[in-house]
Amino acid sequence: MKSNILFGRIALGVYFIIFFGYLIGPLVVMGFTAFNSAAFPSITPWQCFTYEWFGELLKDERILNGIKNSFIVGIGTVILSVSIGLAASLVLTQVWAKWRSTFYTIIIAPILIPGVVLGISTLVFWRQVSDMFGGVALLNNGIFLTIIGQSTFIASYCMLVFVARLQRFDTGLTEAALDLGATHTQAFRKVLLPFMRPAIASAAVLAFLASFENYNTTTFTFGSYPTLTIELSQMVRYGINPSISALAVIIVVITVFGALALEVYGRRKKVKAGEIKKSKSLPGWMFGNIATILLVALSFAVIAMVFTSQSYSPQQCKADYREARDIETRLKIEALQAARAAANAANGDTTEEAGTDAPAEQGGASGAFGGVFAPTNLEDAAGQSDGEDSGAAAPASPFGGVFAPTNLEGSAGQSSGEATPSAPATAFGGVFDPTNLEESSGTSGN
Amino acid sequence: MKKPMIFSEFFRNNGVVMGSILFFLVAFWIIFLILLPQISMLDYSLHPNPINLDAGERADEYTLKNYKYLIFGPEGSSDAFNKVDLMVFVRTIIAAMAVTIMNLFLCYPLAYFLAQSKGGGFVRLLVILLIVPYWINEILRAFALRIIFAPSENGLINGIMMKMGLIDQAYDFINTDIALYAGLGYAYILLMLFPMYNVIESLDRNQIEAARDMGASWTRIHRRVVIPHAKPGIASGMTMVFMLSAGALAAPQVLGGTSSLWFTQLVYQWFNDTLNWQQGAAYAIVLLVASIAIVLTFMKIFKVNMGDIGK
Repeated sequence: MKSNILFGRIALGVYFIIFFGYLIGPLVVMGFTAFNSAAFPSITPWQCFTYEWFGELLKDERILNGIKNSFIVGIGTVILSVSIGLAASLVLTQVWAKWRSTFYTIIIAPILIPGVVLGISTLVFWRQVSDMFGGVALLNNGIFLTIIGQSTFIASYCMLVFVARLQRFDTGLTEAALDLGATHTQAFRKVLLPFMRPAIASAAVLAFLASFENYNTTTFTFGSYPTLTIELSQMVRYGINPSISALAVIIVVITVFGALALEVYGRRKKVKAGEIKKSKSLPGWMFGNIATILLVALSFAVIAMVFTSQSYSPQQCKADYREARDIETRLKIEALQAARAAANAANGDTTEEAGTDAPAEQGGASGAFGGVFAPTNLEDAAGQSDGEDSGAAAPASPFGGVFAPTNLEGSAGQSSGEATPSAPATAFGGVFDPTNLEESSGTSGN
Repeated sequence: MKKPMIFSEFFRNNGVVMGSILFFLVAFWIIFLILLPQISMLDYSLHPNPINLDAGERADEYTLKNYKYLIFGPEGSSDAFNKVDLMVFVRTIIAAMAVTIMNLFLCYPLAYFLAQSKGGGFVRLLVILLIVPYWINEILRAFALRIIFAPSENGLINGIMMKMGLIDQAYDFINTDIALYAGLGYAYILLMLFPMYNVIESLDRNQIEAARDMGASWTRIHRRVVIPHAKPGIASGMTMVFMLSAGALAAPQVLGGTSSLWFTQLVYQWFNDTLNWQQGAAYAIVLLVASIAIVLTFMKIFKVNMGDIGK
């Protein structure tokens, strides 16, 4: 039984790691790419730690303009969808039971309609309306259309939030207010609205975030006012640099900060109300909460980052990296040249050696090598062919063509020991033992 | 004469000013934002595109040719059916279903765990961890997966595997659609989790205890107690994930291969590249009707009410 429980715990742990890895992992990876100096957002190959993409981001006019448009649209959507959602939730509680499910189906439908369809229908409908009135510019305005299109379904989200809160509302309060002589408007403003305030706040936040991140609907309606999401999608599709990751880091940090702050705030209220006892092991202002600790840690990390970014410069590292890469490319080019030359040499050999015996062949082979290597790395080539000759020259020569490429790889300076002993070595059994070749490449190294 | 009664009652309950404000807002929403746009889109899809009219065709007459195009392809083409677009459509629907089912299996254990645990600090932290990715832009989330799956040494997986020497040629996650499915699952996974969490949370824990005391096995408890109770939540989660993945645009655009399209991308092309809105509207209608029909069919099969959705 005990091992069973243990097994269950391990399985649960593994599952948790997979789930949260899937959920958080990509964001963490993206976060790291914001600090890699590689021109394309990536972690592998890691180049240099840099803050430059944040600077790049702040210089990007289109991103800044997109943020501005997103805010305008977001505020408009919040106002429209919160008021519609509130009205709909109030109506829903009063509609006759018979009608309620029909009404509910209609107002919940926008959540289920694909965003693409909502965008298209909004665009098409208001185009027709504006045509009907002889082309009213407002109705074709991207911001207007986007607000309308997004509010269609965001209002449904808001309504769900309000319905949940209204279920706990005591209608007796409104009735009492009315009995005491308040008008309906006053009763709404003084009784219902204060009660709904938390729900209104959370619905507004929800609406703003949903609007800010919306893509499917906006992509059809934005007209000449691209929002941030639209700009991002264009950047992602047509050439990107890691400044987009830098933006993601900023968004993630703000979101995490907000979520933690909210958690701490809620916790603090509860502590004050005496619902939870303070933990004794932690200082009082932390309210004994993991969230607080994380919040503080996050703040410190951000502050530290901002400060180091003032003084830190990755120029040296970048120069180093560039140099290393130059060397690498040069080596690659050399290896390529060598391989090509070897292919030539091999061709030359096979034709030449067709009818000849070992001694003559040896001369031919070295001649071919010498000619090939003369311009590039004469020394290495010479050493290499010497070593080769002394070690296993005579038997090798009939197959000089076969061996040429591997030899040359050795001369290019890298890992010939491992690479060479593959096919040809086995073909020649003991003579072409891997160790033999390793030796020969060793001599070439020296 | 029921209608006036409802309205008079409504205004009596809310007062004239408040009543009319509420009424105006809700009517505006339902009529101008929900119903009329859909009707107008339907109307649009039944008209020919005024720019390339066939001979003898008028722009204001009704025609089914936009729908015919989806099924039979352009007139005079050699194929009997519009194979390319129909394949994209079928693929979209089937892949969206697969993504939905994948999400269901991924989320169920976590939903059960969260709902049955007593809500300590650890669980609250888990919930924050869950919510944060959800508020990151859809494009950025798709892009994050693109960094991981990129089909060159720049991609995380390919980069690591190449460094370790497991592969020497980058594996193309994009054109094999692995990245796309991972991205779609990733985009809407929380919409599966939270409805399930909500219903399982409302399950009385004593029921599970009772079942266990009477010797029910672990699988049996889930099959006979938890899942029947969680059915509305599972249904609403699956509905949302299916509808949203079938209608997704961001993930296919960022993570999709060049050769394989998502149906919404066809719609997008009709609107933004070909500028044939009528054709695009027809495609959008087909997508909408098909996905609603599928959802309703499954709801009927599993006996779930529409009213349960969104709870």
